[in-house]
Amino acid sequence: MIYVKGLSKSFGSIDVLKNIDAHISPGEKVVIVGPSGSGKSTFLRCLNLLEIPTAGSIVFDGQEITSDKADVNEIRRHMGMVFQHFNLFANMTVKQNIMFAPVKLKLMTSEEAQAQAMALLERVNLADKADVYPSQLSGGQKQRIAIVRSLAMKPKVMLFDEPTSALDPEMVGEVLELMKQLADSGMTMVVVTHEMGFAREVATRILFMDEGIIKEEAAPAEFFGAPKDPRLQDFLRKVL
Amino acid sequence: MQKIIEGLRLGIYQTFILENNYKYFINGLGITLLVTASALILGLILGIFVAIVRSAHDQQPQNRRNPLLGILNIICRLYLTVIRGTPSMVQLLIMWFVIWASARATDGNMIRCAILSFGINSGAYIAEIVRSGIMSIDKGQMEAGRSLGLTYAATMKGVIIPQAFKNVLPALGNEMITLLKETSIVTVIGLKDLTKGAMIIQSKTYQALVPFLAIAAIYLVMVLFLTWVMDKVERRMRESDIR
Amino acid sequence: MKKIIAFMTAAVMTAGLLSGCGSSSAEATTAAETTAAATTAAETEAAAETEAAAAEAAQLKTVTDGILTMGTNAAFPPYEYYDGDKIVGIDAEVAEAVAEKLGLKLEIVDMDFSSIITSVQTGKVDIGVAGMTVTEERLQNVNFSDTYSTGVQVVIVPEDSQITDVDGLSGALIGVQEGTTGHIYCSDDYGEENVIAYTNGATAVQALLNGKIDCVVIDKQPALKFVEANPGLKILETAYVEEDYAIAVSKDNEALLAAINGALKELTEDGTVQKVLDTYIKAE
Repeated sequence: MIYVKGLSKSFGSIDVLKNIDAHISPGEKVVIVGPSGSGKSTFLRCLNLLEIPTAGSIVFDGQEITSDKADVNEIRRHMGMVFQHFNLFANMTVKQNIMFAPVKLKLMTSEEAQAQAMALLERVNLADKADVYPSQLSGGQKQRIAIVRSLAMKPKVMLFDEPTSALDPEMVGEVLELMKQLADSGMTMVVVTHEMGFAREVATRILFMDEGIIKEEAAPAEFFGAPKDPRLQDFLRKVL
Repeated sequence: MQKIIEGLRLGIYQTFILENNYKYFINGLGITLLVTASALILGLILGIFVAIVRSAHDQQPQNRRNPLLGILNIICRLYLTVIRGTPSMVQLLIMWFVIWASARATDGNMIRCAILSFGINSGAYIAEIVRSGIMSIDKGQMEAGRSLGLTYAATMKGVIIPQAFKNVLPALGNEMITLLKETSIVTVIGLKDLTKGAMIIQSKTYQALVPFLAIAAIYLVMVLFLTWVMDKVERRMRESDIR
Repeated sequence: MKKIIAFMTAAVMTAGLLSGCGSSSAEATTAAETTAAATTAAETEAAAETEAAAAEAAQLKTVTDGILTMGTNAAFPPYEYYDGDKIVGIDAEVAEAVAEKLGLKLEIVDMDFSSIITSVQTGKVDIGVAGMTVTEERLQNVNFSDTYSTGVQVVIVPEDSQITDVDGLSGALIGVQEGTTGHIYCSDDYGEENVIAYTNGATAVQALLNGKIDCVVIDKQPALKFVEANPGLKILETAYVEEDYAIAVSKDNEALLAAINGALKELTEDGTVQKVLDTYIKAE
């Protein structure tokens, strides 16, 4: 579904990503871990072109999205993204947040979008928050709504950029629970996270990134059971 | 004491009642309000446009810059530099006597010239106010919009500008008050605004105290009213901030 | 307009009587209308009758002791204008001669025309000398001295103008200098909506050159200068109005008014005023 070839990204003179190759198949749940500054968030953000790669190509659904001719906005509709800091639209109520993109992009009528928004909110047990503003919600509630907002676009793949890092510990659970449900429903997911429990339980494959390259990739059992790269061994010792 | 009261009574009589002098205040007030309101609308349109061009240009990724936006950005910066770097009275004089030299000195033309000149002037200040508002909005808001497949323009219009607007409302109110008071310099092209009204009465009667105190009071009341309105609007827009 | 001029004449006559013999305190009250009239009149008598200037100066109250401060708008040739950084002209020289008679030192302050009277009223300056004409409304706020010179308001038009005489002014857009008698008279005669007031004569002439207005009504002497400097303009043969120039003095300083009138009378009689006028206004 997503083919990444020779992907590099520099910010000024700093090379954040160095010639990365990767492939994500439909239905896969790929978890990316690594120390901070390893380039994992930048990698994820390159996938939907929030960062423009310096070199290399990305093919999504048979279309080269890194080409100048690609319609970035069209591509992004099919790739949901969840941010560390939720990024709910502060000037809209919860329901408006969910309805905004589908209605604006004329994918649905306002009535359809509203019905869908309410259905999605029921699913995450937040229907009673439909008309409140994001500032009145807890972090966990905000992130669940952010996930639901992406789902409203019916994406083919969901990208998660450290979705629980900004949450109070007692709220991490509710967000991970929703992500598990989503995984169980067959959604293709790419998740950058520090939650090793989630990686072990949900991932079909785990990538370890360090210093701008993918140092190791393996299924969870092998990844945690028999890590080969010394940096990964060191990393796992610290986080487990 | 009695002399002061006597003088004041004469002043009030000459300023308002004699030869229907109060009409200078009423007609002048109308022109002042018309020029201020129209210039403000023009300034808002210009200012928001320039602010968007400037921030769109600055927010482009380093390795993908749009050349057309680059040219627009240069024009906008030139506009900001020239307008903010020259006194508004000079701009008004140039607009009237140089750029629009052929215009007849009818009230309509002078009002149009004043609106244009003050609108362009105010636009430059509003542009920087709005731009600072746009810059104050967390980058994540734009990224969230874009990640959903919305265009830059749609995200700007639906998400960023409404929030930026709310943030800069006090500064915009301030600009509005400044504009209202600054329109008093239209007297240099001969337009009979509120200030000119007082000056005419003064030159007719050589009575300075009452006419000038009167217009000061009128300006003050208008500013107080504006402040009150802005306060109301601000409170309403803060609804989404309740915690 | 006639009424105003009639009143002006009366006022000048009143002032003349006042300074001439200082005997008629009843006349004085018409102009002064204050309760202090009686005491002022007494001072007036004393001031006017004493011939010795120096002795007089000691009694005269001015803004700054020993100095006669004059407010003017030095953009009105040949009455007052800058020669280098010195303000010269008819008004400057007449005032100088008056100050000398009163044993005071003259000091000239340049300001906007419309601020001069206010400055006199509020005691920022002692006198206003700026080619000012006496009007009924103005007299209620300041006193005016006897006239020392006659001014003529003329009409400047482009050479190819349709306007050939003063009658042609109705319906035309008239430019004036703000606060001048031309401004006031034109507003009364042709309606506010047809009169555009500019802060100075040069701006009004610029508007005329641009075709924004049809004519400029302004004092004759500066008009001559403007026409000389801007080809394509001319002055109509018939004058718009003739008027008398006088010195404005605060209502609170009757003694000074009387002293000035005394001095002006002497200066007129000995030909000094005429000499000044001749120096600046060349015979045509």
